[in-house]
Amino acid sequence: MNGFLNVSSSPHVRSDESTKTIMYDVAIALVPAAAFGIYRFGAYSAAIMLVSIFFAVLSEYMFQSLTNQKVTIADGSALVTGLLLGMNLPPTVPLWIPALGSMFAVLFVKQFFGGLGQNFMNPALAARCFLLISFTGIMGNFAVDGMSGATPLADLAASGKTDLAAAFLGFISGCIGEVSALALLIGGIYLLIRKIITWHIPVCYIVTFVIFEALFAGHGLDIPFLAAQICSGGLMLGAFFMATDYVSSPITENGKILFGILLGILTGVLRTFGATNEGVSYAIILGNLLVPLIERVTMPKAFGFEAGALEGKKPIPIKAYRSVLMLLAITLISGLALGGAYQLTKGRIAEQELAAEAAAYAAVAPDAASFGAAEELETRMTELTAEDGTVADGQFGKVVYDSAYAALDESGSVIGHVVNVTTKEGFGGEISISTGIALDGTVTGVAFLTINETAGLGMRATEPEFYEQFVGKNVESYELTKSAASADNQIEALSGASVTSNAVTNAMNAALYLVQSAEG
Amino acid sequence: MKLATFKGGVHPDDGKKFTKDKPVQTYLPKGELVFPVSQGIGAPSKPIVKKGDQVLMGQRIAEAGGFVSANIVSSVSGIVKCIEPRLTVSGAKIESIVIENDGNYAPIQGLGQYRNYEIMSKQEILDEVKAAGIVGLGGAGFPTHVKLMPKDPSKIDYIIVNGAECEPYLTSDYRMMLECPEKIVSGLKVMLKLFDGAKGVIAVEENKPVGIKNLEELVKNEDRIEVCPLKTKYPQGGERNLIYAVTGRKINSTKLPADAGCIVDNVDTVIAIHMAVCESTPLMRRIFTVTGNGVNQPGNYNVKIGTSYAELLEASGGLKDGVQKVISGGPMMGMALATADVPVVKTSSALTCLMEDEAAKYAETACIRCGRCAQVCPSRLVPVKMMEAAEQHSMQRFTDIHGMECYECGSCTYICPARRPLTQAFKQMRQAVMAERRKKG
Repeated sequence: MNGFLNVSSSPHVRSDESTKTIMYDVAIALVPAAAFGIYRFGAYSAAIMLVSIFFAVLSEYMFQSLTNQKVTIADGSALVTGLLLGMNLPPTVPLWIPALGSMFAVLFVKQFFGGLGQNFMNPALAARCFLLISFTGIMGNFAVDGMSGATPLADLAASGKTDLAAAFLGFISGCIGEVSALALLIGGIYLLIRKIITWHIPVCYIVTFVIFEALFAGHGLDIPFLAAQICSGGLMLGAFFMATDYVSSPITENGKILFGILLGILTGVLRTFGATNEGVSYAIILGNLLVPLIERVTMPKAFGFEAGALEGKKPIPIKAYRSVLMLLAITLISGLALGGAYQLTKGRIAEQELAAEAAAYAAVAPDAASFGAAEELETRMTELTAEDGTVADGQFGKVVYDSAYAALDESGSVIGHVVNVTTKEGFGGEISISTGIALDGTVTGVAFLTINETAGLGMRATEPEFYEQFVGKNVESYELTKSAASADNQIEALSGASVTSNAVTNAMNAALYLVQSAEG
Repeated sequence: MKLATFKGGVHPDDGKKFTKDKPVQTYLPKGELVFPVSQGIGAPSKPIVKKGDQVLMGQRIAEAGGFVSANIVSSVSGIVKCIEPRLTVSGAKIESIVIENDGNYAPIQGLGQYRNYEIMSKQEILDEVKAAGIVGLGGAGFPTHVKLMPKDPSKIDYIIVNGAECEPYLTSDYRMMLECPEKIVSGLKVMLKLFDGAKGVIAVEENKPVGIKNLEELVKNEDRIEVCPLKTKYPQGGERNLIYAVTGRKINSTKLPADAGCIVDNVDTVIAIHMAVCESTPLMRRIFTVTGNGVNQPGNYNVKIGTSYAELLEASGGLKDGVQKVISGGPMMGMALATADVPVVKTSSALTCLMEDEAAKYAETACIRCGRCAQVCPSRLVPVKMMEAAEQHSMQRFTDIHGMECYECGSCTYICPARRPLTQAFKQMRQAVMAERRKKG
């Protein structure tokens, strides 16, 4: 009866839950929102998410192999990071964006800081913010065929209106995984039922945010406005899936409550006063940085150490309140500093933009002394634009007419027009062009109002060598050629930047078409 | 009705199905009986017999060796074979009195005689409890007569009978509630006689509805006794958590239950008090559960203290082939055994035999800061922070975050999805801190 094999210290039983089962539960909870994203935006968004997952897992595998660590890709944490990042990307991004983002998330944010459990920020969100800052144009392009480009929050900011039912179900623009509040709610409830997350962070986050918006957004208790704020801009995705990330959120219950409140305030500040309508991503990664501080002030009292514990009284921890108020103040100040900086500079930015535009008009219509309204062209612009946003039956690709003005001479008579066109088919997102067309149809000048192309390639479109090709010509339309231009209407494409060349040429043709069709 | 409970805790598989419907059988030992002189908290007892002495069943063989110490009584009649160090459950060899059983069970005079506690004085009752060598049978083994003599008896307003039996697999307390609930109530009434201002509460987890019903039936005409159903949750029977569940008062490790006006004893201890005072029978037996999927015929036994674990395994049809782990006690706080050749002592409660060792099954992975450990800790600690201190061997940090409040219930280790050996590390830290404190005096 001697020698039982296994002798170890108690306890001798373990729960069934492991890191792996938790990660896969999170992945399962994300499925409804991801699936809705694919349904809404098409198969390409599935490709984005798959690339994102693939590169996240691959980066983890490569790093761990190369550094002689145990490869832990089977635990599902890289998968969840990849999936979350994919769901946080617009459905139009080129596939190198999720690949780059995933590598950044896993290598820079997670592995370089010590791997699983050591990252100080949510890797997927940090990667999203990295992409937002580095590739603003691409990351801001939500236009998918047949849909209006603006997100509901952009709509709200512009018109103060949005379709509530569409926002709740998800028939809106936005990142792949953030559009359907309903699908996200289903996933969130699954996580709550499976006890993967507790209610503290999501509920405190959303409630605080709503209160903040009701107080400071200038709409008061406007229920549709508040509901739209909740259903859009990634708030649901952030509150249920990103803010609750174990590693970068507080451990204790009180810490989670405080964390949720801070996120609500930060998001409110960033959305209401900041330059970005979304704000959730920045709020959460800022919140992540506050976690060590939050945990410090919310360390729970050990059992039996509360004042009055012996007599069975409920304690009132005055001291804790003081540190919590401090933390709230810190958050509010840092949030307002961010928002305030934007508010202060907003006016100047707008002024400078106006001045730049005026300078551009003067450049494209050098003979004009002043500019006036061009009602006929404005009417024609509306006529040419179909209800779904398509212009001139789509013959110039994804372009929109922005505005048109009449160029006047000193006596005030019309000598030509200035047309502003934006194409969404640039390599780096939108390209806005201003062009001057004289009454006889001769193009008097071209200027770029917005352009975010790749430096050294597409960006060469802004060099005179390229855009001067359009100037001084009186043609019906331009034609792009890869070789040297042989006819008057031919434009030699930029080598290595055919997408940009094509987009610019299309935009120019759209401008010509507008003027010609108005005359005809 | 909202059930009394505490914040935290876990719900491991309770494993009570193996033995909860098995009536207690009396097991008579075949071989020698071994009585280690240290069977609980406090100073070791001093043997008062020597090799070759004839002893009777119920005869005192060792005396309390200090104020916090208890007598030891022979559970059989026979001859003292030797007094020598013998292996015990903890793995240490402890000086033990070994008695060769003559099989006659010849009792000392007056054993089993009925006594009416109502006409006894408080001192007489305390003397009987002390003489009987009763210690806390829930596991810690604190001498009961010491517990029953707090500094200020008038401050005691609750006598709590701990019938939570929250440790998975154990069913001995439950069987007592079915088979002799009147002894539990009688023992409690004896204790209430010692404390005039106190109220008796029998606290039972709601997963024992028949036990609760039996007890409620018995106390319905008792003004001073009530039954308190508890939420089923581990470690509901932890002393501090139980006091909180019943009274709303919280004590920490620096306080005694008496500081909160409470005296807590488990079901079997209360029965031992009844037997000592009303039936003139000292502590000679334990209700013992042999259970788990690794043993052929699980059962509950009335066992003579001193009996070898190996005999009890045999009586239960032996271990199954491929059994991986044999535990003295339950799976949450019990001690894994390397051998079954150790004796049943006062604080023994069960042998849990498991076909699969979950502790060995999983490999440790990185902490993901999920916070489950802090969620379940019944002492409201943050085990993940304590683990950081333990990994840095920082006793200062460990005690600063109240690491010494841990009572090693194992909930954090049970729940940890990264399978980290938290409780194990805390045990080492606590021992190191206690050793340090002893050194400083």
